[in-house]
Amino acid sequence: MKPDALIQSYVTEVVRHLPKRQRTDVGFELRSLLTEELRGRVGDNEPDTATTLELLAEFGRPADVADRYRPAGFTIIRPADAPRFAWISLGGVAVQWVITLIAAYTAPATGAGDDWLSRLGTWWLSAGLGAFWWPGLLVSLSIVAAVMAARRGGDAPEWTPRAAAALDRDRISRPLYVLAIAGALVGIAALVAAINLATLWPELPQPLLDAFVIDEAFLATRGPWAIVLWAATLASMIAVLVAGRWTRTTRLLAIVGNTLWVVLLVWWVAAGPIFAQPYADSVTRGCLLLVAAICLLDLVLTARHLRQGSPAPAV
Amino acid sequence: MVAIAKHEQDLRKGVLVLAVLSQLREEQYGYSLRQALAKRGLPIEEGTLYPLLRRLEAQGLLASQWKAENGPPRRYYSLNAIGAELYRELSASWASLATVMSQLLDGEKQ
Repeated sequence: MKPDALIQSYVTEVVRHLPKRQRTDVGFELRSLLTEELRGRVGDNEPDTATTLELLAEFGRPADVADRYRPAGFTIIRPADAPRFAWISLGGVAVQWVITLIAAYTAPATGAGDDWLSRLGTWWLSAGLGAFWWPGLLVSLSIVAAVMAARRGGDAPEWTPRAAAALDRDRISRPLYVLAIAGALVGIAALVAAINLATLWPELPQPLLDAFVIDEAFLATRGPWAIVLWAATLASMIAVLVAGRWTRTTRLLAIVGNTLWVVLLVWWVAAGPIFAQPYADSVTRGCLLLVAAICLLDLVLTARHLRQGSPAPAV
Repeated sequence: MVAIAKHEQDLRKGVLVLAVLSQLREEQYGYSLRQALAKRGLPIEEGTLYPLLRRLEAQGLLASQWKAENGPPRRYYSLNAIGAELYRELSASWASLATVMSQLLDGEKQ
């Protein structure tokens, strides 16, 4: 290929990556500059294909050159957010895969040819690949956020002392904390009232009263431990409220409390019925497992918070 | 191994805009500007310089126009009022920075 044609092909490839309104102008200028560069390299000689290719190779890949022409600043995902974005994306996909794989392999058999491999294939073509809607959604939302941030431009809020004070994550909002304690007490009262529904409101319909009949064995052995843990949790919450902030001790207490709650809830679910009615029992077990999962998550977050800080370097 | 070339490249990248602005007090087109910088001891890759000119223009620092003087049409660039102001500001910053750096490096030698 002749040098002029090579340069023209290269320029065409570069401008293909640029906005339409820039293409003609940049294309013409770039071709003219590359031609001059080439003539400058060969001096009085005629440019050849090898020298042209060398020049173009040094100039860079067309897509990279086009990137250099674009103004910097529009970033869909900031480098600082990239690791978190990757974790949230991959975590979401992994959670969907675990749930759908369990569902795929616990579903009843449909007949001959229904082996583990065919189930895997069916799963992959449906829920397996389908799970990628999550990263797609995150990217789409990031694009919208980036466009809005770019439009806002220099109007982004400044870093204020108030914003800096918000970095003190150990400090609690006392009014909110009082509300949380009140909410916990109301929840406990509601639970106790529900268990004693037949005594408190005997005029309610019989099916409703039956639904809240607690299993005798549960009430005698496993149930009372909740009172101990409720008391300990409330004491810990009041300690945080009085101090106005989380301390290492209260965080350690929260970790121990959460661990005990997880153990207790799993024991409740695993050791037998909680409610006498099977339907009420199965719903309650599901709810308790969810509560156990939330406690576990809180436990992990609290443990991570406790570990944060700058450890001294090894000398 | 320390990537000396990378650090040197980063160092030069920092002064690139000021170097380009300094040469655009007079009208230049891309190739002539590169030659002028190279002649004064600051060779810049063409793949870096040409897009930079366009970006500076898009940022409202340069004025440009097509001209056909003694040859094919070429796009000529020069500082506009905002570019000239930026050039003055950056020159002052550079003078201050160069003094501080000299003191730091001299202190290193002593």
